[in-house]
Amino acid sequence: MMLPKKELGLLVLLVVISAITEALNPLFLSGVNLLDMANLIGLFGIFSIGEGLTIITGGIDLSVGSMFSLLGVIFIDLVANWGVGWPLALVAVLAGGLLLGAIQGILITRARMQPFIVTLCGLLIYRGAARYYTDDSTMGFGYGNDADTLSWLAAGRSFGIPHSFIFLIVVSLILGVVLHRSVFGRYLFAVGKNEEAARYSGISTKLVITGAYVLSGLLAGISTIFLVFYTNSVSPSTFGNFYELYAIAAAVLGGCSLRGGEGSILGIVLGTALLQVLQNLVNILGIPSSLNFAVMGTVILLGVFADQQLQKRRAVAISVAAQRARPAVT
Amino acid sequence: MDPLLELVGITKVYPGVTALDDISLCVGRGEVLGLIGENGAGKSTLMKILGGVETPTAGTIRIDGKDHATLNVNESMRAGIGFVHQELNLFDNLDVASNVCIGREPRRFGLVDRKQARARVAPLLERLGADFGPDTAVEGLSIAQQQLVEIAKALSIDARVIIMDEPTSSLTLRETERLLRVIAELREGGVSIIYISHRLGEVKSCANRVVCLRDGRIVGELAGEAISHATMIRLMIGRDLKALYIPPEAEPRQGGCELRGVITPGFPNRPVNLVIRAGEILGLAGLVGSGRTSLARAIFGIDRISTGQILLDGTPVDITSPRQAIRHGMYLVPEDRKRSGLIMEMPVVENITLASLGVYARMLLVNRNSELAASQTQRTRLTIRAPGDQTQVVTLSGGNQQKVVLAKWLSMQPKVVIFDEPTRGVDVGAKNEIYILMRELADRGVAILMISSDMEEVIGVSDRIAVMHEGTISGILERPQFSEYNVLHLAIGQELEMAEAQ
Amino acid sequence: MKRICAFGLAVALCLSPAIAQTKKQLALVTNAAADFWTIAKRGVEKAQKEHPDYSMEVVITGQATAAEQRRELDDLLARGVSGVSISAIDPKNSTAEFNKVASKAVLFTTDSDAPGSNRAVYIGTDNVAAGRQAGEEIKKALPKGGKVVMFVGTMDADNARERVQGIKDVLSGSNIQIADIRTDGVDFAKAKSNVQDALAKGGVDCLVGLYSYNTPQIYSAVKEAGKTGAIKIVGFDEDPQTLRGVADGTIQSTIVQQPFEFGYQSMTDMIKYLAGDKSFIPANKLIIIPTRVIEKTNVAQFQDSMKQLLAK
Repeated sequence: MMLPKKELGLLVLLVVISAITEALNPLFLSGVNLLDMANLIGLFGIFSIGEGLTIITGGIDLSVGSMFSLLGVIFIDLVANWGVGWPLALVAVLAGGLLLGAIQGILITRARMQPFIVTLCGLLIYRGAARYYTDDSTMGFGYGNDADTLSWLAAGRSFGIPHSFIFLIVVSLILGVVLHRSVFGRYLFAVGKNEEAARYSGISTKLVITGAYVLSGLLAGISTIFLVFYTNSVSPSTFGNFYELYAIAAAVLGGCSLRGGEGSILGIVLGTALLQVLQNLVNILGIPSSLNFAVMGTVILLGVFADQQLQKRRAVAISVAAQRARPAVT
Repeated sequence: MDPLLELVGITKVYPGVTALDDISLCVGRGEVLGLIGENGAGKSTLMKILGGVETPTAGTIRIDGKDHATLNVNESMRAGIGFVHQELNLFDNLDVASNVCIGREPRRFGLVDRKQARARVAPLLERLGADFGPDTAVEGLSIAQQQLVEIAKALSIDARVIIMDEPTSSLTLRETERLLRVIAELREGGVSIIYISHRLGEVKSCANRVVCLRDGRIVGELAGEAISHATMIRLMIGRDLKALYIPPEAEPRQGGCELRGVITPGFPNRPVNLVIRAGEILGLAGLVGSGRTSLARAIFGIDRISTGQILLDGTPVDITSPRQAIRHGMYLVPEDRKRSGLIMEMPVVENITLASLGVYARMLLVNRNSELAASQTQRTRLTIRAPGDQTQVVTLSGGNQQKVVLAKWLSMQPKVVIFDEPTRGVDVGAKNEIYILMRELADRGVAILMISSDMEEVIGVSDRIAVMHEGTISGILERPQFSEYNVLHLAIGQELEMAEAQ
Repeated sequence: MKRICAFGLAVALCLSPAIAQTKKQLALVTNAAADFWTIAKRGVEKAQKEHPDYSMEVVITGQATAAEQRRELDDLLARGVSGVSISAIDPKNSTAEFNKVASKAVLFTTDSDAPGSNRAVYIGTDNVAAGRQAGEEIKKALPKGGKVVMFVGTMDADNARERVQGIKDVLSGSNIQIADIRTDGVDFAKAKSNVQDALAKGGVDCLVGLYSYNTPQIYSAVKEAGKTGAIKIVGFDEDPQTLRGVADGTIQSTIVQQPFEFGYQSMTDMIKYLAGDKSFIPANKLIIIPTRVIEKTNVAQFQDSMKQLLAK
């Protein structure tokens, strides 16, 4: 009965844009291109979901891009220079993401600092730490052999489908249930819509908000692995630069309100897909690279504008319905 | 007296509330019409419609025999309606003349002609007997003087009707007297005035006629000699106080909540000792700022108490967060339900189950069906009028919203429920239903603390009344002692004279 | 807290002139953070060993912005630096800043020139010449002609424009077309997806990576697409992955600069200059260190020398 209107609208937008691109260059829907896009949607979708969770609590996480850089160089250093086995290095990176997320969450809830400021400082600190750690040099797997199991897990394909995309589907299903069906998910929305009322209803709002940042950190840790194996090297000063903005854009396109309390996993995934399609069509249609961001900005603006208009119309419809219901009542 | 301004059948419906219901009234030339009514009776909405800020849903505004279905701000001004608002709308950084002429500045060569502005404003100030000139900076003026500027502003647009909304709320006695003289003079000069005030003495001394609003309707009109304190109060309250009281089924029983030497952060040296017995409704009265809400917040764990003990059924409990209070069965229906009681943009069902979501969940996943079942049960039990369980709470009327807050707690196992201003912004019908629910709860053995500023409610509903003054309990009244006089006496910190007990 | 700050400030004030008096400071300011500059640093270290009476440092411009460079230069001047060799990020708009440096210290440019400024000399690659070398390599890779797509971080940088210019010079009039140039804003992942999109779009025979990280991203994208051999690759610089690609034949060849020489000669020539010897400066004030073509025949030996230079 509750049709997710936002998601539907986004899907329509995605289909329309794809159809136009396909009409202009039929290679757009070729298998190779679709799978390449699926890979990128996977890479960017995983941490965008984490970003979406923090946005739903009414916060924001600006630190993910820098987190990739810091965790990425640590990972490569552990594997390539310290000879640490990949399972251990993987655990270290995931734990690192979890820890950074937890620190940010605690600063936001216990020290009552604004999420924007805490995570902005995270963005600066992690980037600086990564650059200092590597002495500003690009970290790669060097002359060693990097084709091991984890590389296959992160960058390989099964049945032709990129693993990052498969992983995104798994993460979306799990977090979709968590967000839309679980107690924690309900609390996330409640806290995002009205933290005070949530607290007055006995919800440990601090725990819930911290949880969102921890999840965001963990997903950033997972994304780090995928991204590292996508590029095979990490330049600490540029790796993941602005990726938090891609995540925020995907979440907002997907129906997350920066005021908090709104959003869905499906929407965030569709938002990510739309962003990647836009990037791809710029290349496929031979639009100059310089216009890349302008195209993206325009579509986000139009998408959010259209959504707002629909919302307004819906709000009017609700109030009319409410009035019609009233006379029968009193 | 020929009518200058006439309202015919004005109705205003907001989503969730009918603010004005078929209002018809007229104001004659040179007449002072007093407009009285409790908060939320619809006075401000009516004034906003006259000022062109709000559009009526139905009805006609007739000015000088000309009909207007709606007014916008400019039309209202041109029709000669001027305002002196409760909050003054002056620009501190400008002088008196500029404020009076704002938006209608006399111009010369496209620039403001200050000389002409001054010349235009000076006679108006003189007429009002102002002791300052058009060049004076508004910053330096007292509130009373600023009010004269507002009146001058109204007169400068040739206002024939000036609407004054609580004009004396920040004035001293002497300033009030002067304002009343100015009103008398304006009336002599043929200007009509609609005078809105809670201060019945002022209304009595300046109004020719009084109209009383209640719940968006006109409930009565008084003219000339008939205007008196008693008649006005009767109109405003409009019903017998005793009718509210529903006697308890049984005597209060053992147990309940006891506060021993509780000190709240707002009042560091004022310990509170109070017993809320299981099965009774204890009214908590006091002036605004006397510490009632602080006390409620402390019991509910929002603010930490610095010293003292809270006992529940005789055992001390440690409450440091609402979560713990709720776990002990101590609930709060907060004063500001939109901010603290409800998540306005969530459906009815999710609001009802929010505090006890674990009950409706298995393996941490919410079971929608059992949640909906609970919501339906509560909706029937509390007669919550909502189109469905999925309706967003924001679209409901105040009374139904409050019932959703209650439903949240009633779906659990309450032992102590604190109601902070339970019927604020709730219409009369729903008020009674809430009182009945409170009594049912008490009869089930729940201890109820009802904080209220509504004297009628405190006296009408409570089994006992505790009165707070400056952070501590200044006295407790048993039912035979109930009177407005006694409550006020304690609220301003005076000893109760036993002779006054009835 | 205040007291600690004040103390620190006092210490800094006492120390900084002391350093300036004992040893002359020389600095190499990079335009980004990369292995390229790590190699240059080795050159600086070699010079340092030969001239212990100078204090040499390498300043890494991590954000790769002209604004950051400006701040670094101001800091160096404030510390009383005697000589700076800089890789200019935005030469056209940095003239005033560079001239300010040149008026207070010796200013060289290296790697990326600022010909409009009062720099004493440029030590580095002739990027147009390097581009021409790459053009020749492309011709060798595509004897029957074909289409080329090039990949680069940004086209704002002169070295990118010059490399492109050199390639265009050689290819003009041949049966080889430059189909497109895609930029990625120095985002590695974007660099790779640009390559993937170009492969998906098709109609391309040779891919050229203009920046050091572009070539490895081309290499891995082509390998993953299973187009090894079918698509030719010509690259710039000496990323380990690039060299590996050259070794296994996926990459036709890569044009490498000699950053070690940039670092070494910047330092030693600045010392000469400070000592009053300006004879090493040619009339056109350009000391060109030639680029080399690394192909399958000489890659193994080059890899070994790189390993040695980069080992810590």
